[in-house]
Amino acid sequence: MKKAPRHEPEVRLSATSPRKWAAGVPAVTHALEYSLEETTARRTATTLLTMNQVAGIDCPGCAWADPAPGHRHRNEYCENGAKHINDEATARRVTADFFRTHTVSELGRRSDLWLNQQGRLTEPMVKRPDSDHYEPISWHDALGLLAAELTSLDSPDEAVFYTSGRASNESAFVLQLFARAFGTNNLPDCSNMCHESSGFALHETLGTGKGTVSLDDMHQADLIFLVGQNPGTNHPRQLSALEQAKINGGHIIAVNTLPEAGLLRFKNPQRVRGVIGPGTRIADRFLHIRGGGDLALFQALNRLLLEAEDARPGTVLDHDFIRSSTNGFEEFSRHIRAISWDDVLTATGLTRQEIEEVRDGVLGSERIIVCWAMGVTQHRHAVPTIREIVNFLMLRGNLGRAGTGACPVRGHSNVQGDRTMGIWEQMPDSFLDALRDEFGFDPPRAHGLDSVNAIRAMREGRIRVFLSLAGNFVRAAPDSAVTEEAMRRCRLTAHISTKLNRSHLVCGRTALILPTLGRTERDIQASGEQFITVENSMSEVHTSYGRLKPASKLLLSEVAILCRLARHTLGGRTGIPWDRFECDYGAIRHHISRIVPGFHDFNRRVARPGGIRLPNPVNEGVFATPAGKGLFTRNAWDMPHTPEGHLLLQTLRSHDQWNTIPYTDNDRYRGIHGRRRVILVNPADMTELGLSEGQLVDLVGVWTDEVERRAEDFEVVPYPTTRGCAATYYPETNVLVPLDSVAEISNQPTSKGIVVRLEAHGTAERHRS
Amino acid sequence: MDTIEETIEVAVPVRTAYNQWTQFKSFPRFMSAVKEVEQVRPAITHWVIGCGPVRRTFRTEIVRQHPDSCVAWRSLQRRPSHRGEVSFHPTAADRTRVTVRMEVQRHRAAALLTGPSSAVMRRVVRNELGRFKEFIEGLGQESGAWRGSIHNGHVRPTEPEPPRSRVARWPVG
Repeated sequence: MKKAPRHEPEVRLSATSPRKWAAGVPAVTHALEYSLEETTARRTATTLLTMNQVAGIDCPGCAWADPAPGHRHRNEYCENGAKHINDEATARRVTADFFRTHTVSELGRRSDLWLNQQGRLTEPMVKRPDSDHYEPISWHDALGLLAAELTSLDSPDEAVFYTSGRASNESAFVLQLFARAFGTNNLPDCSNMCHESSGFALHETLGTGKGTVSLDDMHQADLIFLVGQNPGTNHPRQLSALEQAKINGGHIIAVNTLPEAGLLRFKNPQRVRGVIGPGTRIADRFLHIRGGGDLALFQALNRLLLEAEDARPGTVLDHDFIRSSTNGFEEFSRHIRAISWDDVLTATGLTRQEIEEVRDGVLGSERIIVCWAMGVTQHRHAVPTIREIVNFLMLRGNLGRAGTGACPVRGHSNVQGDRTMGIWEQMPDSFLDALRDEFGFDPPRAHGLDSVNAIRAMREGRIRVFLSLAGNFVRAAPDSAVTEEAMRRCRLTAHISTKLNRSHLVCGRTALILPTLGRTERDIQASGEQFITVENSMSEVHTSYGRLKPASKLLLSEVAILCRLARHTLGGRTGIPWDRFECDYGAIRHHISRIVPGFHDFNRRVARPGGIRLPNPVNEGVFATPAGKGLFTRNAWDMPHTPEGHLLLQTLRSHDQWNTIPYTDNDRYRGIHGRRRVILVNPADMTELGLSEGQLVDLVGVWTDEVERRAEDFEVVPYPTTRGCAATYYPETNVLVPLDSVAEISNQPTSKGIVVRLEAHGTAERHRS
Repeated sequence: MDTIEETIEVAVPVRTAYNQWTQFKSFPRFMSAVKEVEQVRPAITHWVIGCGPVRRTFRTEIVRQHPDSCVAWRSLQRRPSHRGEVSFHPTAADRTRVTVRMEVQRHRAAALLTGPSSAVMRRVVRNELGRFKEFIEGLGQESGAWRGSIHNGHVRPTEPEPPRSRVARWPVG
């Protein structure tokens, strides 16, 4: 166990060849090494051995589903889950002394890595308008201050309530209930920045915003597409499912701009062949696609399938399914036959032969799943791309059958559940009516603000109070300079947090840190020990029990903080039993069961091992679209124009990183060590742009406004990215993502499609002087 | 590949016999080899079968189902695999002929070492059909019904929104 570092690490970049396989023994040693640096062997054993077990701690690291009870490993976690959970279980503490020693301004100059390394927050803190220090404040005064600010607003719509995917179903339900009882639908969440495009596209075409695939489907598929996702780092337990699919005879096609290690080979550390053998080859075929070219790829595949049907009528398409369960096929068919191969090849960077070989694989597969993540959702035409994937699946009836379906792979562990609980600024009247009938108040009907629109409103001074339930909004949001300016314009910002992050430091005139229990910690309320529930990416709702002693006696649970805030703010204005909610989370679940469809008898059913598997209507033959059928769509792409001398940049995570928080400066699988300010560029592009390895450059964003967005001091690393496409880590480069550069329909920031030029580092300074 | 075919006539109308057969979760009530059935989705079931202390689990997908006519399935694991069909034919207004036809494919070595012989399997199927007859004739009416149909693994429900599928369906980010 190491103490928190006092200084930023000073390490030079060391770049080696990217790894060609993921996990194996190094994953185990790195996980244990990090865990034991953070906490004791005993706490490490407690967290790891109960993680993802029945009646254990649900890993907050990702939303991948757990195997059925009875089929879980004793060690049912991955390297990054272990790092994440012990990052929370750390023995390091941030106390009032820490804030006496460090000013807010000084902390604001520290890196995300250093801030996180300081440990767990232990008591409520306030930064007053005339102070550069956080100072202790009692819970009563802190919540009273926040409540007073809320009640002084001219309109409830001057407040924003942000939710991160760490929040449980119970706390998310309480937050949205409080916000609506207070009078606003301003409920942005982290979904707005990760899978909003998936939700909109699936909802429009299939009538449900959720993926249709279960873990068993993954095992039974003949062919799995992995599009724009990096399972080795972002959802490593998916690799076990992919390995099982391969053992069962399935095939995998990876579509990515980067040959990520986890897409190539997996050495499962729980199998002998993974420890001392060669492991399992994951992708049978790797399509090195151009960023944003996925829509063109699936359109080309769809055209090839239509042509194959022309050549052998009745053998390629599932006419029975198309006729009985879909609409719009004829229009779609006419549209897709007219696409131009020249456009496809330009947009994808692939050859026609490569795409035709994929077509052959599709024709040889009875059961197909398409998985995708932010490599798809964070582009301007993300929604059309996912709609086209749905077209692709529907053509051969690859929906609603075993081993088939659409699989948006979500990142944060309860990001899907929070939305199910009503964290959305546009909730339908049916949900609001149910709230009204249950609690006897009339929720506001006007739509609220999502993340991008909340930042706009904050920047324009229309928002006075910002409350965040978990998360690190300042670093997660795009256009960092704009977001920071927006936060600073608020009268009060408050964060319900476990650890220190930059959102506590780039804050409103008054700022509150409301420290909360982590998911690893025991939550004891007046009625006894509580558990919380979460919903994974495959719509399974299950329990999570904290196991560790809380980091401080002064911590309150998320539910307790929100219920007390509601009492302070609303007094007796509503008949909502906030006291009872705080005392017994079962009471919250009881109300959820009466409001949220699919949650009947919630308390009893969720207590069963494995919890509740929410049905997906598509798998029951139900398409809840206006026409009651799956919808074929006609989609057009809007590729970002990359002028000569420019690159299309994507921001991504390193392997030692969880969302906005880096755990080290290393990215082992990509061979990067000791520095995060790097840009990965194809060697041929380096030659063309006159760049040399190790050269320091500034990244300058190109956008339609006159604002210069510049990320300075990045080291060029030659890397096998697709030609014309570069990659770099976020949140350091969120500064380059214009707030107005969003996906059509979903309003999701386009963090995977930013046009940049590279300037020698220091050029701007020379110009300024 | 072992093929087994067994037939029995039950003294209830075809609708009653068929409806009862769609209630897979009730099978352990009257079948001795079936210990537990979970209806994962309308077309997917998870089975625990066994004899004495021995248990086997498998999943099946119903690939075709027509009310009062047939239920055809295939197992979802690659080896050993089985597929089959239960068909229902009215022989009179209150009598129905139920036929089970199944094909089982196993690893040869596994079949020699662990698998029950086809004669044993045939006897098990025959006995279980007998228990079905005893059960449905004793009750006289079905304990439930699912009247949807399944074509090539795709479910077609009878109602536009069956209660089981009522779930939150606003966009999920």
